Amino acid sequence: MSSSLASSSNLDGSDDTSPQQKQSKKPKYSRFTQQELPACKPLLTPGIVIGIFALVAVLFIPIGLASLSASEAVVEVIDRYDADCVPNDMHGKELDFIQNSSTNKTCTRRLTIPKTMKSPVHIYYELDNFYQNHRRYVKSRSDKQLLQPSKEAETKVCAPEGNTPDGKPIVPCGLIAWSLFNDTYQFSINSDSIQVNKKNIAWASDRSHKFSKDVYPKNFQKGALIGGGKLNESIPLSEQEDLIVWMRTAALPTFRKLYGRIEKDLNANEEITVVIENNYNTYSFGGQKKLVLSTATWIGGKNNFLGVAYLTVGGLCLSLVLAFIVLYLFKPRY
Amino acid sequence: MATEVSPHRTDLPNHSIQSLDQFPSPLSRHFSPRAELDQLTASQKETILNEEESRLIFVADPSHTLVNARFDIAGNSIRTAKYSLLTFLPRNLFEQFHRVAYVYFLGIAILNQLPQLAVFGRGASIFPLAVVLLVTAVKDAYEDIRRHRSDRTENHRLASVFANGQFVSKKWKEIEVGDVVKVSADSSLPADMVLLSTSDPSGVAYVQTVNLDGESNLKTRYAKRETVIAAGETERLIGAVIRCEKPNRNIYGFQAHLEIDESRVSLGPSNIVLRCCELKNTEWAIGVVVYAGNETKAMLNNSGAPSKRSRLETHMNRETVYLSAILIVLCSFVSLFAGIWLAMHRDDLDLAQFFHKKDYNVGGEANYNYSVLGVQVFFTFLMSVIIFQIMIPISLYISMELVRLGQAYFMAGDNNLCDETPNSRFQCKALNINEDLGQIKYVFSDKTGTMTQNKMEFRYVSINGVDYRSPVKRVEGSDLFFMPKLPVETDPKLLRDIMGDIEHRERIKDFFLALACCNTIVPLLFDDETSNTKLVDYQGESPDEQALVSAAAAYGFVLVERTSGHIVIDVLEERQSYNVLGLHEFDSDRKRMSVIIGCPDKSVKLFVKGADSSMFTVLDKTLNLDVTHLTETHLQNYSNVGLRTLVIGMRDLTSEEFEEWQSAYERASTALLGRGTQLRAIASKMESDLVLLGATGIEDKLQQGVPEAIEKLRQAGIKVWVLTGDKQETAISIGFSCRLLTGEMNQIVINANSRDSCRKSLADAVALSEKMMRNSGEQQALIIDGNSLVYVLETELEEQLFKVATRCDVVLCCRVAPLQKAGIVALIKNRTDDMTLAIGDGANDVSMIQMADVGIGISGQEGRQAVMASDFAMAQFRFLVPLLLVHGHWNYQRMAYMILYNFYRNAVYVFVLFWYVLYTAFTLTNAINEWSAVLYSVVYTAVPTIVVAILDKDLSRSTLMNHPQLYGSGQREEKYNITLFIEFMLDSLWQSLVIFFLPYLAYRHTDVDWSGLGDLWILGIVILVNLNLAIDVVRWNWVTHAAIWGSIAATWICVIVIDSIWMLPGFWAIYHMMATWRFWFCLLGAIIVGLIPHFVGKAFLEHTMPSDIQIAREVEKFNNPTGTTSMPRVLGESVTTDIEVQMIQQQLQQSQS
Repeated sequence: MSSSLASSSNLDGSDDTSPQQKQSKKPKYSRFTQQELPACKPLLTPGIVIGIFALVAVLFIPIGLASLSASEAVVEVIDRYDADCVPNDMHGKELDFIQNSSTNKTCTRRLTIPKTMKSPVHIYYELDNFYQNHRRYVKSRSDKQLLQPSKEAETKVCAPEGNTPDGKPIVPCGLIAWSLFNDTYQFSINSDSIQVNKKNIAWASDRSHKFSKDVYPKNFQKGALIGGGKLNESIPLSEQEDLIVWMRTAALPTFRKLYGRIEKDLNANEEITVVIENNYNTYSFGGQKKLVLSTATWIGGKNNFLGVAYLTVGGLCLSLVLAFIVLYLFKPRY
Repeated sequence: MATEVSPHRTDLPNHSIQSLDQFPSPLSRHFSPRAELDQLTASQKETILNEEESRLIFVADPSHTLVNARFDIAGNSIRTAKYSLLTFLPRNLFEQFHRVAYVYFLGIAILNQLPQLAVFGRGASIFPLAVVLLVTAVKDAYEDIRRHRSDRTENHRLASVFANGQFVSKKWKEIEVGDVVKVSADSSLPADMVLLSTSDPSGVAYVQTVNLDGESNLKTRYAKRETVIAAGETERLIGAVIRCEKPNRNIYGFQAHLEIDESRVSLGPSNIVLRCCELKNTEWAIGVVVYAGNETKAMLNNSGAPSKRSRLETHMNRETVYLSAILIVLCSFVSLFAGIWLAMHRDDLDLAQFFHKKDYNVGGEANYNYSVLGVQVFFTFLMSVIIFQIMIPISLYISMELVRLGQAYFMAGDNNLCDETPNSRFQCKALNINEDLGQIKYVFSDKTGTMTQNKMEFRYVSINGVDYRSPVKRVEGSDLFFMPKLPVETDPKLLRDIMGDIEHRERIKDFFLALACCNTIVPLLFDDETSNTKLVDYQGESPDEQALVSAAAAYGFVLVERTSGHIVIDVLEERQSYNVLGLHEFDSDRKRMSVIIGCPDKSVKLFVKGADSSMFTVLDKTLNLDVTHLTETHLQNYSNVGLRTLVIGMRDLTSEEFEEWQSAYERASTALLGRGTQLRAIASKMESDLVLLGATGIEDKLQQGVPEAIEKLRQAGIKVWVLTGDKQETAISIGFSCRLLTGEMNQIVINANSRDSCRKSLADAVALSEKMMRNSGEQQALIIDGNSLVYVLETELEEQLFKVATRCDVVLCCRVAPLQKAGIVALIKNRTDDMTLAIGDGANDVSMIQMADVGIGISGQEGRQAVMASDFAMAQFRFLVPLLLVHGHWNYQRMAYMILYNFYRNAVYVFVLFWYVLYTAFTLTNAINEWSAVLYSVVYTAVPTIVVAILDKDLSRSTLMNHPQLYGSGQREEKYNITLFIEFMLDSLWQSLVIFFLPYLAYRHTDVDWSGLGDLWILGIVILVNLNLAIDVVRWNWVTHAAIWGSIAATWICVIVIDSIWMLPGFWAIYHMMATWRFWFCLLGAIIVGLIPHFVGKAFLEHTMPSDIQIAREVEKFNNPTGTTSMPRVLGESVTTDIEVQMIQQQLQQSQS
C-alpha cells in the first residue's frame, strides 16, 4: 500500500509511508555530500589584481607592436574603377551602359606601385554595399546539387533561380551562383603582360568536398535577367574556382574576394596597366568596385586596427596598474 | 492530558485558510484528533444526511447498492498512475505546457514553421524545446511506470469476501461497495469499511494507521452493538442498509447511520476502518465496504501539498518582463529599419543581384517572395522575435529545477540536519522554495514537540492539597509485578502515603484510579526476559495521557487491559475490573474529558480531568476551600517551572443520576441533528459539582540546543515568535528557559476578556512600546493570549497589534487555537514584505505551516500531519539554524547569481546578433551557425552555471554558523535586486559590443567568409561568458574546473564538428580561421577587453566597499587557510553589522601583521 501513497516529490527517496525505509539513519558521510570538496578560494588581493593587469599589459603591448609593424609592412594598392570605367557620355546612364551587351566595357587603368611588392601579390576585387549576407541571398544555393550529379534537380531552395522557365534545373542554381562576379583584369608592365595565376584561389576543402568534379554547369545564366558571369559548360564545378570563391559568401556588405595571384615581385614606382572588362552591374544598387593588389604578412592583409587596439588596451592596463597601486597605497583597507 | 487547549474555537471568525478541506479542522494538540474532529465536524457542519448528499449501501448486496446509487460508485481497483500508453503523450504534453514559458517557446517554434518566417531550419528551431520536453517526459514516464507496477500489486492482493453464504477469496480490485469483507490480524484493509463485528465479543478492533497518517500507536475502533454477531451468522446482516456521507478527504470524520432490524443506529468515525490501515491485536474483523478504490479516504488524501512560489522567482518574473520589453524594442527597431531600407532601395531591388525581386519564371512581372512593405515589416518583426527569443532564457527554467534538485540533494544529505534517531532525515517536500530559506525574517514556532521533546515526564503531583514534589527513586527492579515501559520517578512519601493510614488515603486512591481510567490508552503486555515482571506498553494518541497512566502504574494502579466495555486495573496488586459506562471525549470548548466508571463495589463514579481554568469553574464550591486554594498555589508553582498542569476531579453518581444520564446519552448519540452539540451539553451537565482530587505537573523537556538555536536566529536578525497552546505561566517559563525572554526585557502582557478591555490594553501597549522605543536599548517582549487574539485578529485592532508586535523583540502567544496561529502569521505576511517561516509538529500547526511562506514540519512524536503539509521536514528544532544560516544562505546566493547570470549570458548573445543584423540590411541573417545558436544556451553555457549554482559556496559552513549576522545579506536582498540586474545588463551590452565590433573592425575589407566570422563570434561569446562566471566563482573544486573548462572545450569541439559537415555552408571555415593569427588575436583581445570592466569593478568595489560576506571571506582565507577549524567567536549578540565589519577588520589586521 505504501508505494501507492508515495509522493514522488520526496527527494531523499524515502517514502513517507513506507515502514521499511523509515529505518534510514544518517546519510552516508562523504566530502561531496557534505559539500566539503577540497577547493581553492582565489581572492582579488592587491597583488593579484595588479599582477593580472600587468600581465595583460606585458602581453598586449608586444602583440600590438608586432601586428602593427606587420600590418605596416603590407603594401596595398587600391583602385576604385566603377565610376571611372563608365564612358563620359554614359554618365548618369550607368544602368543602360552596363545592361547593354553591345557597349564596349573595356577600360584601362594605370596603377603605380608605391613600394616593392614581394611575390606573391594577391589580386582582390572589393565590392561595397553588396549584401552577400542578405537573407534572400545566403539561402539561395543547393549544396547537394553542387556535389552530387544525381541531385541536380534539387533546386527548390534556389528559387527564383532554380529552374529555367521551361522547368529544367539550373546547375549551379540559386542567387549566389547566378550573381557570379564577372569583371576581368589583365595586367601588364610596359606592355609586357603579367601572368595571373588563378589556380588555387579557392579553398582546397571546397574544391574537393563541396564542388564535384562530376558536375558540369547546365542551363546556367540562360534566364531573362542576367545576374553575372557565365560558366564554361565543359569544365566541372570543382575547377570553376572563381565560382567557388564567389560562393563562399562574405560576412559583411563590404568585402574582398581573391581574383588571382601575381607570382612575381613588383618593383617600387613601376606603373602597371590594368585592362578591365567592366561587366558586373553594381550600378543598380550604387555599389563600388575596387581592384586591390596586396602583399600578405603573417598577420594577413593590411589592417592597423588590431595593432592599435592591442596597444591601447595594453596602455590602459598599465594605467590601471598605476591606478590600483595608488588606490591600495592611499586608501588601504586596514 | 488537557494542558494545551484551544479557547472558544466557535467564537473564531472563519479564516480563509487554503485547502481547508484537506484538513477540515486543524486539530488541537494532545487530544484524540478523532474525538475532537468528530465533535468539530458535528458542531461546525451539523450536516444532515439528506438524500442528495449521501450514499446508500445495502449490506452484502453490492449489485443492489450499485443499482440504487445516485452517483457513480467507484470499484476497489485503484489507479495512482497518471497515464496509460495511449494518453501519455497528450496528457504529459498538456501538463508540461502549463508553464507559460513553454507556451512562449512553442509559439515561437510554430512561428518559425511558417515558410515566410523560417529563420531556423525545422529541426533546429524545435530542438531546445524538444530536449526540455523530452527530459521531463522521460522522468514522468519512469515515475508512472513505478506507479503502474505498485497499482498492479495492490489491485491483485487477495481478500476474503462474503458471497453466497461463505467467505471466498477475491482480488482487491474486484471488491465492490456493499461487500462484506473479513480481515484477519496483521493484514491490510482493502477499502474503507464500517466495522460489523470482530473477534472481540464487545466488537473492539485495533488498527494501526501508520501508513495513513504516520501515527504508529494503536487506535481503537468499535463495531456497533447491533451488528456484533458471531462469525457464522453473517447472513443476518443481509438487508441492513447504511446511509453515509459522500466520499471526502477527512480521515477523522465520518457520518452515517445504519438501519438494521427496524432500528436505526448512528455511526461515527470510531466505527469505520480505513484502507491503508492494518488490523492489530484483533484476530479478525468483519466490515462492510462503504468507500472503495479511489474514493477511499486514503486515496483522496493522496495528493501533494499546494505549491508555493519563491520570492526570488517572483522577482525573476518581474525582470523577465523587462527583458521582454528589451526584446520588443530590439525587434521594433529592426523591423522599422528594415522597412526604411526597403523603402529607400525600392528602385534598386529589381536588379540588385543579392535581392532579385522579380521572378522571371512567371513572366518577370510577379515579385518573388516579396509583399507589400507593411507586410514585409511585419514579417521582419516576427522573424526578429524568433531570432532574439533567447533573450528570455528557456534554459533558465530547467536549470532552476536542476539546481533546486541538487540543493535538495545536499540538504537531505547533510549530516548536520539529522541525528541518530531513525526516521529523522531531512526531507525536501517542496522543491521550488529552497532559496526562500535564505531570506527569512520571522520564525513562528510551535512550542510543544517543536521546541520541546514532547516526551512527557510525570514530575509533581498535588493530591488533596498536599504537594508531593520530590520524585527521586526510580522503580527499577522493584517487587512490582507490572512495570510501565516508560520509567517514572516516584515520590517515596507518596508511596508511603498510599499504603499508610492517613485521612486522605481514599482521595489518593481515587486520584490514581482517575489517572488510570480517565483516558483512551490501550495497554499492551510484554514479558520482561530479565525478571519475572511484565512490561506494560501504553499505546495512546497523547503523550500526556501515556505519562499519566505510566505514573499511575508506577504508584501501583496499573491499567492492564482495556476492552470497549470494561477495563482491568491492577490496584495495588489486586486485579479489579471496572465497567466503562460512559466516556465524554475531550473537546476544546470544555477543555476536559470524563469517564463514568462502574466500580466493583457497584458504585458509579465520574472521573474528570482537564485544564485548570475549565476545572475550577465546575468544582463543588461548598467543599473544602482550603484544598482548592492550596492546589491553586501548587499549580501556580508548577507552571512557573514550566510544567504542563492538569486538574483531576470526581463525583459519585447516584443510580438516578446515572440512569437519567444514560437515557439522555442514548438519545443524543442516535440523534441525527446536532449530535455533537447534544453530547457536549450532556457532558457539561454531568461535569459539575466535582470534588477536587488533585493536580499533576508534567514536564516536557526542551529539545537539545534550543536556547542556542534561538540565540543564533536572533543574532541573524530573525524574529522568533512562539505560538503555543500552553497557559501563560508555562509559556513564559519556557520562554526563559530557552533564552527567548531575558530578565532585562520589559514584558508587555495583554490578557483581555472583552473587546473593550482588549482595545484598551492594546492602546496602552502601543503607548508603552513607543515610550520604550524612545529609551532605545530596552528590549521588549509581548505576551498575548488566545482570548485577546479573538478580539484582535480580523478586526481593526490588528493594525495596533502589528505595531506593537513588530516593535517587540520577542512575541509569545499562549493558549492560541490552530486557526489563530495562522491568523498571526497572516498578520505579518499581509502587512510586510518580510518572509515568514512557520515550524511545528502537530496537526494544530498545519494551518500555520500552510499560511507561512516556508512551512517546516518536525517529524516527531505527534503524527505526521504537520510533516505532510510542510515544505521541509526535519527532526529537531535546532536543525533550523544550519538550515537557514547555511543552506538557506547558500541556496539564496547561488540561485540569485544563477538567475542574473542566465539573463546576462543570453543578453550578450542576443546583442551580438543584433549588431550583426545592422550589417545585413536588417534581414536577420545569423552569422552564427543555427546549430551553434541552438546549442548555445542548452549545451555551450548551461553546465557551468548549474554546477556553480549547486556547488559554489561563498562562505564556509563554520563561518556562516559562527557569524549569524551574515544571514542579513539574504534578508536585505543583496544578491538579487534591480540594481544588480541593470549592472549585469550593462555588462552584457559592453561585452556584446566588444565581441562584435573588435572582429568587425579587424575583418572589414577582407575576404573573410560568413561562417568563419560567425565561428569567431560564437567562440568569443562562449569563452567570455564562461570566464565571466569564472571570475565570480568563489570556490574552485574539481567539478567547477571540469564544468567551466570542459564547456569551453566542448564548444570548440562542437564548432569544429559543425564545420566539418560538408552539407553546411560553413564547411571547413573554422580550420581556415584557426590558421590565421588574426583570429587568435581577435579572440584574445575581445575576451580581455570584454572582461576588463567587470574585473575592474569587482576589484574596486571589493576594496573600497566590501560587503560583510566579502570581509568574512577574507577572514576565512587568511585566518584559516584549511577551513577545518572554526573561527573564534568575536561577536556578541547585539553587535550590528557595522561593528562586525570593524571587528573582523581588526582581526584580519592582526593576522596579517
